[in-house]
Amino acid sequence: MAEPQPEKTLTLSQQYALEKEDKVGVDTKPVEVKEVENTVNATSEEVVAERDEEPPAASPKESTEVPAPAAEESSDSAPSAVVGGESSEASADAAETSNETAAEENTENAENSSEQEAVEEEAPEVKLETAPADFRFPTTNQTRHCFTRYIEYHRCVAAKGEDAPECDKFQKYYRSLCPGEWVERWNEQRENGTFPGPL
Amino acid sequence: MIVLEWLFLTISPCDAAEPWQLGFQDAATPMMQGIIDLHHDIFFFLILILVFVSRILVRALWHFHYQKNPIPQRIVHGTTIEILWTIFPSIILMFIAIPSFALLYSMDEVVVDPAITIKAIGHQWYWTYEYSDYNSSDEESLTFDSYMIPEDDLELGQLRLLEVDNRVVVPAKTHLRIIVTSADVLHSWAVPSLGVKCDAVPGRLNQISILVQREGVYYGQCSEICGTNHAFSIVVEAVPRKDYGSRVSNQLIPQTGEA
Ligand SMILES: [Cu+2]
Repeated sequence: MAEPQPEKTLTLSQQYALEKEDKVGVDTKPVEVKEVENTVNATSEEVVAERDEEPPAASPKESTEVPAPAAEESSDSAPSAVVGGESSEASADAAETSNETAAEENTENAENSSEQEAVEEEAPEVKLETAPADFRFPTTNQTRHCFTRYIEYHRCVAAKGEDAPECDKFQKYYRSLCPGEWVERWNEQRENGTFPGPL
Repeated sequence: MIVLEWLFLTISPCDAAEPWQLGFQDAATPMMQGIIDLHHDIFFFLILILVFVSRILVRALWHFHYQKNPIPQRIVHGTTIEILWTIFPSIILMFIAIPSFALLYSMDEVVVDPAITIKAIGHQWYWTYEYSDYNSSDEESLTFDSYMIPEDDLELGQLRLLEVDNRVVVPAKTHLRIIVTSADVLHSWAVPSLGVKCDAVPGRLNQISILVQREGVYYGQCSEICGTNHAFSIVVEAVPRKDYGSRVSNQLIPQTGEA
């Protein structure tokens, strides 16, 4: 998955950005989030088998998003908060992306928790990040997307133990996707042993 | 003069329906822009056909008037004209269908990953919005109800049947995923300026992805008949990204404090 695709593909995406000025400058932002997610997916591939198909499937399809795996050479700088940043400079973004990907691989969970604290302590630090688009659920109907993420999390916990860091992302995903009411009901059902899904 | 004045005064600076409005509201997303463009494209053909058919009709009425042309024609068949009036409409239909399908498929295609997810849950008769990207447990989440302001409580300048007490705040120029569902009956989450209309179905999550291109306040209403207070409203407020961050974290603190 980590085939190094250096700056070349970036310029491609920049060219693309020139065609649709206003909109694609913004596009580079979620790209960064996506790639982070992909890398993280790869680290937990033994948990859910089908997940590891995603990076190959995703990157050729959306050629604008390739730059991230160039991450190997880069290192340590902690991911900066996304909210304040200007979205239009694609090159700055790319640098940030590669840094972030590398950093994210190691410190994803640490960063998650620290981020949560940051949210609670100091006001303007909110990272715009959510469950990525999933190629298994390409339609308007996302019901199964939410359900699958919920199951994936609980399977992951069952396999890896209660506070395995690999499972955190699934938790984030299902919290983002599922209505709170549904999650509450499912939690209740799991406690009573009446949960209808495969756990 | 009075009419003119009255016409211009009704043009409100926000993205809401206006009295006697005939056209679209201003587009704020690429989707709405596409819809408006498609409308104009199709209207071109519509007018073309209207003019052509009217001309044929009037011409036939004129030339074959019973006084002018007392002996009726007995033509019942003409191969050339039949080929023509089959081929030509199908070409026109193709010119309409191609941009139409292109728009249709591009609208529900999710091109990039969204940066935030907002859940809109329909109730009789209010919307509940959940921002759960920043949750640290299953319970605590930035959740609020958005009720329409009743007519008696309106302040000067607020829009009747449109204003709500809690607006949905979203960042502009950011890819959003809105997940629409319902807790009781069918509703529909619709905002004309954003080019969005999505049914809220109990037990099902419908996703729409939007990109608001400019800051503003966008008004919409429930668009699926759901009971007495159907057409209770939806207000989306698009703010710059950095303001969104502070808005969310400011709201998050009291929420987490309570929970
Ligand atoms: Cu309704």
